[in-house]
Parts: sequence; structure tokens; C-alpha cells
Amino acid sequence: MLKTSPILKTSPMLSSGRWLLLAGMVPALVLIAALLYFTFWAFSFSFTDLELVGRKSVEWSWVGLDNYERLFTRRGFLEALWTTGIFVFFSAIVGQSVIGFVLAAALRNDNSGVRPVLEVAIMLGWLLPDIVAAFLWSATTSETGLINALIVVPLGFEPINFINSYALPVVIVANIWKGTAWSYLLFSAALDAVPREVVEAAKVDGATPLQRVWRVILPMIRPHIATNLLFITIWTFTYFPLIYAMTGGGPGRQTTVLAIFLYDQSFSIGKLGYGSAISVAMLAIVGVLSLFYLRMLREPK
Amino acid sequence: MGPNATASRVNALMLAFVAIIWVSPFAWLILNAFNPAATGRLVLPQTIGLDNFADALSGNAGRQFINSIILAAGTATLTVVVAIAAAYPLSRLNIPGRNAFLWSLVLLRMLPATGVIVPLYFTARNTGLLNTGGVIVALTILNLPFTLLLMKNFFDTVPIELEEAAFVEGASLWQIIRRIVLPLSRAGIAVVWFFSFTGAWNEFLLPLIFARTESGFPMSVGLYAAFGQQGAIQYGFLAAFSIVYAAPAVGVYFLLRRNMNTGFAGVGVKG
Repeated sequence: MLKTSPILKTSPMLSSGRWLLLAGMVPALVLIAALLYFTFWAFSFSFTDLELVGRKSVEWSWVGLDNYERLFTRRGFLEALWTTGIFVFFSAIVGQSVIGFVLAAALRNDNSGVRPVLEVAIMLGWLLPDIVAAFLWSATTSETGLINALIVVPLGFEPINFINSYALPVVIVANIWKGTAWSYLLFSAALDAVPREVVEAAKVDGATPLQRVWRVILPMIRPHIATNLLFITIWTFTYFPLIYAMTGGGPGRQTTVLAIFLYDQSFSIGKLGYGSAISVAMLAIVGVLSLFYLRMLREPK
Repeated sequence: MGPNATASRVNALMLAFVAIIWVSPFAWLILNAFNPAATGRLVLPQTIGLDNFADALSGNAGRQFINSIILAAGTATLTVVVAIAAAYPLSRLNIPGRNAFLWSLVLLRMLPATGVIVPLYFTARNTGLLNTGGVIVALTILNLPFTLLLMKNFFDTVPIELEEAAFVEGASLWQIIRRIVLPLSRAGIAVVWFFSFTGAWNEFLLPLIFARTESGFPMSVGLYAAFGQQGAIQYGFLAAFSIVYAAPAVGVYFLLRRNMNTGFAGVGVKG
């Protein structure tokens, strides 16, 4: 307070243009207020039977907690939650984080010339628009695609339509391919910050390479791990375009994650009230997960 | 040195294997895009031609390219203008409740867009904004908390002494902002502009809900519609379309790589 308050009083420049400055803030305040209003509105909609078209799009009524009850009593939500859990766990936590870490560790001491190629390829995956990645992986895993042409057919098997037979693993692999760059960059920076002497000392004391990673390096980069998990979990949990463009949630409901379930219920079936309840539930889950990771970030060790 | 050399050779071999996995989809993409007779198979083209790129830039596809430019540039410009207008006063004036406001922006930033998609759609429908204009406004609203925080931190690093010196020389506040503040924070503004640009360029869900006709689609929805709904897949066209679509997003990053590091340092709230 002491540092900033004199500026307002002593600077005639700012007080002369005070109204201009305050007027400049109005558009932003209006838009932020709109965002708050929409958030509140989504919450309110979740207690109504509002629909996209038809009579109930105008004459909707309050239905209390019906929509929330439906989350647990009707088929769909819990299934989608389970699918989302699998998708997040394998593509973000196991895939992107672990592969990102292993690559960051392996590439640090590499001078064979693979590093620049791999780094650019990983970054390209990350920078590519979601739908381009979806197209690439649909084509790669199709019956005439890359994997069949290079691996399956030469080994003497019939070509496999991967998206039909293994939809969830395919979207998980595609998401790992697309998203590992973030974890890789974060862990590269984290490993740069680990002092060499500490690792060398552990080596002298007779720690095996695995022990060095597990007991020395990982505890030291714990805050980075928590930050990484926080962001990729939130992103992956609400991720929509890649999966939707590749499978549309199918075949059947095999790849219907929560974001796709929300989209289907709201805009294909048209139950906007139920859709809002799904989005509130998603927000709550994301909130709980964030708190969990933030605690992990704070906890001293 | 014996076991060490073996270990590093195994390491290099493993990395090369990973590199092949990561690179091969791109190789496939390029081979098909430049092959006028592409079938989606991995073959070296008999003839190399730009026919696919010509297709990807004409007709509906060309129209969608322009739509994407309008959508992305419109969102980026609107976001940056609104953010600058609010971030400068937030940085310079000691407004009561400022810190509480900035912290609420941090919380709003965490909000996933899917959470407000239903009200956004409903509002756009009731106000006749189910078009590119509506997507621009909606994306600006969603971008604003993050952009505002970023711009406020940029302005915090511009020394106020320069502005006061200019004021003593007789410059008006408007002149000071135009001639001193904006030029000094040009790098920061560029980063924020391109950041919003790529975000809007990649955006899929909002245009999918808001856009009604094929000629009104941006490239994200256009590409989705082209490979999702056609019976016979035109791999050459789709590959070229993908490259055209991906190029700006990828190019902007490598163009701004150096600025990124300085630009994104310290995105927290400072009192």
C-alpha cells in the first residue's frame, strides 16, 4: 500500500486522465462480468429442464435436483466418468508425464544428433491443431494406413481397422503423441535445475542409477511434477476436439469421455439442463483434483 | 568405459526408435500432400505436384481459410485492445479492491470452457450471434482473464518515470500512452496477440456449435467435416489442407520463440 498509493496522489499525469483510464476499463469489466454471469447461469440451468428446441426451450421449469439424481441413476455419466478416468490416467499421467520425463532425462546427455530431430517432432505434435492431429492418427491407424502397411501386414496378419477394434487405446496413443511436448519441456527445465554435485555425491555413495532417480532426482523436482500433473490433468480431463474428431465417442460409447457426453446430451439430444448439470459436475471434479495437486505442491519434504 | 559406451549406444538406439514413431506421421503427411494421386498409402509419389494445395486453397476450402483468418485475427485484436485498455489503469492506478479482482481473474482462468458452453450458446442464439462474430466475442470473453493478467504484468515492467517526464514536457495522457507506453510494451503485445491468434485458429468446439453452413466454417470444422463425413476419402486434398491449416500455428511459434521465454515469465499476481 505504502509503495503504490502515493502514485495516485502525486502523479498529476494520472489524475488528469483519470476518467479516460477508468473508461478504458469498462469493456473488460463488462466481458468479465459476462463470464461470471455465464458461470452462474450454467449453475442455475442445471436445476431446470431447459431443452435446445421445442416447448421446453421457452417454457422451462425448475426441477430441483432431478438432473443431478439422473447423473447417478441413468446410464451414461458414470460410464463416461470411468472412460475419462482411463483416458486421463493412461494418456496424461502415465503417457505424457512418464514419457516426457524419460525423454527429458535421456536426451540431456545425448549428442548423437537425435535430440534436435526428436525435439522438433515433439514440438510439432504439440503445435499442430487438434483436428489435424485427429486426421493424421485416423489415417495412420486406418486399414490402409501406416501401422498396417509397415507392421501388421509384413508380419503376415490381416490388416486391422484400429479405430473400430481398439478405439480407446488409439485415442490415448494419439493424445500422448500430441501432448508430450509440454511435460518434456517442463521436465527438461526441472532437470537443468538439479545441481550436478548432489547427483554425483549419490553416485559416490554407491547409489544405483535407479536409486539416484527415485531417491534423489524425483524428490528434488517434486514441485515440477505437481505443476505438470495439475495442468495436464485439467486439460486432458476436459479435452474434446481430438477424441471427438477421431471417433465421435464411438464405437458405441467406448470413447465417450465426459466432454463428449456433455456435448451429446446438450447439443445432439438437446437436454441443456442435464448438460449444465454435467458441466457443473465436471467443474467440481476438476476443482477437487486441483486442490489435491496444490496440496502436493505445498507439502514440504 | 566399456559398459558406459554400451549404455549410451542403447540409449541412442532407443531414442532413434522414439524419433521414428514421432516423425513418421509427418512423413506420411508430406508424401501424400505432394502426390496428386495420393491414396493414403505409404508410397513414393510417381509425380510431385501442387494440385492438392491448389484444391486446398480454392472453393469452400479457400473460403474456410479466410474464415479462419477473420476468426483468429478478430479474436486476437479484440482481446488485445480490451485487455490493454483495462490493464494499463490496473497497473498504474491504485484502485480499491484491485488485488481481489486480479485473484478472481486467476480463478476464472482455471475455468474450463466446456463449463459455460451451454449459456454461451443460448445467449448467442437469442442475440442472433450464431456466426463468426459470435465466436469472436465468446472466445474474447474466455481469453480475457489470462490476457488481462499478462498485459498488466507487462505494464508493471514499464517504468512510470518516463511517462511522468513526458507529462512534464506537456504531453497529454493519450499521447503518452500512444507514443511511450505502447511502443515500449510492443514485444509483450505481440506475444499476447499471437497467443490469442493461435488459440482461436485451433478452436474447434465453439465454431462447431456456432457455425451453420459449410461456407461459414473455419478450417478446424471444415477439416473435420471433410474427413468425417465423406465416403471416399481424398487423402491428397486432406493432407494438403492439413498442412495449410497447421502452417500458421506452427510458424507463429518458431517466429516468436525467443519472445515467448521473456513474455511468459512471471504470470503471477504481483501486489
